[in-house]
Amino acid sequence: MANLRGQNREMAADLILSGLVAFAAAVLLYGAASLPPPRFDPLGSAALPRALGVLMLIFSAIIAVRALTRRKLPDDDEGWVVPNEEEPRAASPVRGLLIFVALVAYVAALDFARAPFVPATTVMMAVSGLVLHRVDWRTGLLFGAIGLGLALGLSYVFTHFLYVDLR
Amino acid sequence: MGDAFTLLFTWQNLALLFVGTSLGIVVGAIPGLTASMLIALTLPLTFHMEPVGAVTLLIGEYVGGISGGLITAILLRMPGTPASIVTTFDGYPMARDNRAERALALGILASVVGGIISWVFLAGMSPALARFALQFGPWEYFTLVLMALVMLAALAHSSMVKGLLAAVLGMAFALPGIDSSTGSDRLTFDQDVLLSGFGLLPVLIGAFAISQILRDAAAPVSKERPALPKSRLPVYWSDAKVHGLNMLRSSVIGTWIGLLPGIGANIAALMAYTTAKQVSREPERFGTGYEPGVVAGECANNASIGGALIPLITMGIPGSVTEAILIGALTIHNLQPGPLLFQNAPEIAYGIIAAYLVANIIMLVLMWGAVKYIARVAQIPRAGLLGPILIFCVVGSYAINGSFVDVWVMIAFGIIGLGLEAARVPLGPFVIGFVLSPIAEEQLRASLMMSDGNFWEILQRPYALLFLALAVLTLFWPAFLARIRDRQGALKNERA
Repeated sequence: MANLRGQNREMAADLILSGLVAFAAAVLLYGAASLPPPRFDPLGSAALPRALGVLMLIFSAIIAVRALTRRKLPDDDEGWVVPNEEEPRAASPVRGLLIFVALVAYVAALDFARAPFVPATTVMMAVSGLVLHRVDWRTGLLFGAIGLGLALGLSYVFTHFLYVDLR
Repeated sequence: MGDAFTLLFTWQNLALLFVGTSLGIVVGAIPGLTASMLIALTLPLTFHMEPVGAVTLLIGEYVGGISGGLITAILLRMPGTPASIVTTFDGYPMARDNRAERALALGILASVVGGIISWVFLAGMSPALARFALQFGPWEYFTLVLMALVMLAALAHSSMVKGLLAAVLGMAFALPGIDSSTGSDRLTFDQDVLLSGFGLLPVLIGAFAISQILRDAAAPVSKERPALPKSRLPVYWSDAKVHGLNMLRSSVIGTWIGLLPGIGANIAALMAYTTAKQVSREPERFGTGYEPGVVAGECANNASIGGALIPLITMGIPGSVTEAILIGALTIHNLQPGPLLFQNAPEIAYGIIAAYLVANIIMLVLMWGAVKYIARVAQIPRAGLLGPILIFCVVGSYAINGSFVDVWVMIAFGIIGLGLEAARVPLGPFVIGFVLSPIAEEQLRASLMMSDGNFWEILQRPYALLFLALAVLTLFWPAFLARIRDRQGALKNERA
């Protein structure tokens, strides 16, 4: 049963991948269609995008067909596909998602809200500590302090030695 | 070569090599963090350095990053890097058998021997190979890049189609921007931010570091703590006699596997391990804490670095993701890896060779003296590592151009990397396709311009035909092998 569920998950992942690749290929071919014909060299700038777009469509079709036929023929030889090594199961996708949201919020604060680097980094580190370690005020304080030190250090090094203004 | 050592032996360059190797060992010892991630993250810091200093720092990180993996592989059965997976087979049973110190001693020694033997190949072959590669024209370069891409995509991963798809996707993401031949914009969809294309560093940091951090953040926390080595690391003169041949054989295997694009240190270690087992008088002892198992794997994985550096500096062809990043590093410093590197910037070409040897020696000293302390790094809580690395990713991407566009690109490629890995599409060919795409296109366009658009001129170029034939062979070899196996199976069934 677990095997079948894993197979279904893999099939779904492959079908989604196939759809996304086909979409990307369509975008590539659409973009290539508006490029001018070759002028300075025999190949022109549209040749590679077109070739890659076609290859992507072919691979997308192969992946989709394999995903669909794999379920019907579970014992079928998968051609060149060798079974992958076992992947560790994710314990908490929510934790990963929270870190991603924190990262986006941090960059958005720096970029759009023009938040100063040192306080924003301090808060970001405190949040990452709370998400990844434990939710209590001590953890928040500890990671906030680490973040403050890190931000001050980075700010000093980048401003004084690498001439990059971190604000 | 002597000049390269003289150049390297300034206190700044030695300090950078020391720092790079130390950082590499520490990062290599932490499961989940890799040498390529470290190199991608430190690359922005090298912008203001002298090219020789930058290269020595990165080479130190590379050597340290591959070597450090053996510590947790032996003490925790958690390879710090994929290259050390084989070390867990015998290293961990040795540690459980109260022989952790011996396993570490042999692993460190084997790593250094592997590094030094592959350095001999690197130093001996590279100048000659570079001189030979000077005969290559655009046709040869185009087919060489094509061959490298196909080998990378087809051989290194479980599914050939997905490997090839990864390479094609990487190439596609390198297309937007100003077309260098015509000077007009391409695939920018009227977005000004796309005019300069996607930067190499945001793509690398996103695909490797961000996706890894998000995966690590979601992964279960390991409660296991390493058993720290208690006594000095025991090594004896008799080890040279007992393990000498195994070391030599595994190092040669590692170097030659490293030469081939896309095979990687982990496969090199596995092949050396399998060979050692096949020729052993006691093959049944492999996997039970047998010393030659540790020696074979560690010799080969370190030797593969030297092997992989050969095509990098002589032809500009990356054998793995880490080499692709090193190519990026050289390009950032306006240096074109390839045969002309020995003519135009000999201090860099020979500097890489010299730095590789010295990094191995520094690695020996550091790991021998500080293995107990490095092992403690694996005890640092994940939260204490991932947060600062995330900040480094953001700052590193921003520092390239002082623009947040690069940071958003990094985040976007982090998501793309995560999605590709979830769909079991390998990231290596993706990144290498991204790096090699402009080179492949430029060489093909130059070839066709030289031959007035006649593609069949390739038939008059024997090396180009050879590379093309190897690429085609790589594509169809697995299917051919499968058919032979099927036929043999059918014959056996008939006889039965």
